[in-house]
Amino acid sequence: MIRSVGHPQNRAWHRSHTRNYRNAWFIMAGAIGIAALLWFLGDFGSVAWPALGAAILQTTYRLALAYGIALLLGVAIALLVGWSPFADFFFPFFDVLQNLPSFALIPLFIYFLGFTNQMIILFAVSSIIWPILFAVLNAIKSAHKDLSDAATIFGAHGWKRIPYYLAPLSYPAILTGSIVGIAIGWEAVIGAEIIANITGFGDFIKTASATGISQASVAGTFAILVIVFVINRLVWAPLLAESSKRYAE
Amino acid sequence: MPNDMSHSSDMALVLSRVSARFNDEKKNVLALKDISFSLPKGSFVSIIGPSGAGKSTLMRVILGLMEHESGEVVRDFERPAMVFQNYALFPWLNARDNVAFGLRMSGMDRKKREHIACEKLKEVGLERLEDHYPSQLSGGQRQRVGLARALAISPDLLIMDEPFSNLDTITSESLKADLLRIWRSYGMTILMVNHLIPDAIELSDQIIVMEAHPGRVEKTLSVDLPRPRDVRGPQFFKEVDVLTEVIRKVS
Repeated sequence: MIRSVGHPQNRAWHRSHTRNYRNAWFIMAGAIGIAALLWFLGDFGSVAWPALGAAILQTTYRLALAYGIALLLGVAIALLVGWSPFADFFFPFFDVLQNLPSFALIPLFIYFLGFTNQMIILFAVSSIIWPILFAVLNAIKSAHKDLSDAATIFGAHGWKRIPYYLAPLSYPAILTGSIVGIAIGWEAVIGAEIIANITGFGDFIKTASATGISQASVAGTFAILVIVFVINRLVWAPLLAESSKRYAE
Repeated sequence: MPNDMSHSSDMALVLSRVSARFNDEKKNVLALKDISFSLPKGSFVSIIGPSGAGKSTLMRVILGLMEHESGEVVRDFERPAMVFQNYALFPWLNARDNVAFGLRMSGMDRKKREHIACEKLKEVGLERLEDHYPSQLSGGQRQRVGLARALAISPDLLIMDEPFSNLDTITSESLKADLLRIWRSYGMTILMVNHLIPDAIELSDQIIVMEAHPGRVEKTLSVDLPRPRDVRGPQFFKEVDVLTEVIRKVS
């Protein structure tokens, strides 16, 4: 049988994630239940909810923007490289770049962009882009030869190969790369906010935890958990389920 | 006829001493050595041989998907199509869009190509499955979609790489009958890689037997049985015996 999705690990990853997300509602309900119980017991009485909400919104906005840029750039670069005859040449080059520890580069971002919103967003882009780029490149590189030959024989030559063959072929890889990328993106944005003292969820947690674990930091953790689960459940789980079904062997 | 190297206009394909090599960082292997044969227009030719004989590689060389190292390939066809052993359908497209893929690439408008795709699906008996995706189809149905995709571009050369090998007997018998009907009505040239001796004799005008390591032509046989062929007649079994003996020597 043809392995429709390029990389075998992608498919295994898909299946396990689709299965795992079935339980996500239960986990989320549990988290909300615990938070509600703590609220009921008066544990969150001193939390500045408007400030927490604003901080989460700012961080989510930065992450969304960074993800959008990383998605466009990562997919475009991977498709162009995968389409060109130079994929094997670029692969080790990208491998070295992605191995650079992101946070070690943050001084560079601060030096060029200052303590700004743009700095955090571009720093996050530099972290999110790699899983997307590698997932797509792997999908293209490991696609079954027959599928590639079929595309060629039936006329997907030149630039047409990108929108009609390589892009749809890479769709499951874009999903899996995005999920990993966004997980890394949360860390990058929150981490950068903490390091650079820029308002956002990272800064909120840093301030709230300055004198140990506080009600505000616990509330913030619960809030982020709920957001992550909602995004996974409402966005990624249906997309993964559909992709897994469509691209099944 | 077997090794007619003339470049006459009645030949769809002429190969003269074609050699090809896999040459990458992992291996450097001579896959094909001095392959010579010709394919008369409108004929049905089968290639049979052990694994490692380079049959699939030969198909790729003929279609220009792989460079050959030496020799000459003269192609007198304009619209080649291929049916794959593993179907090679695009999983993101439904049956109709898979069939219409080649037409879409040629710039045909949506309405026209969908009409043709539906006609071709009907021709292979899948008129009610046009909205199904490959993952929702059985092996036989997928192979029929693959055949419809090839027919949609009105090919003058149809290459088939072991099209029945993943199918059960009943499905492959039915598909064989459809293939013969289609071949007669379209009048195209068919080159089929096969590993079943009776199938090769039932379908072909000419059978090319290949040897392995490196892949080379051992013998070319003409099948002169009248069509439609009686697959239970003594003449048929005699041809099977002859070919079996040739294959045994090659093995």
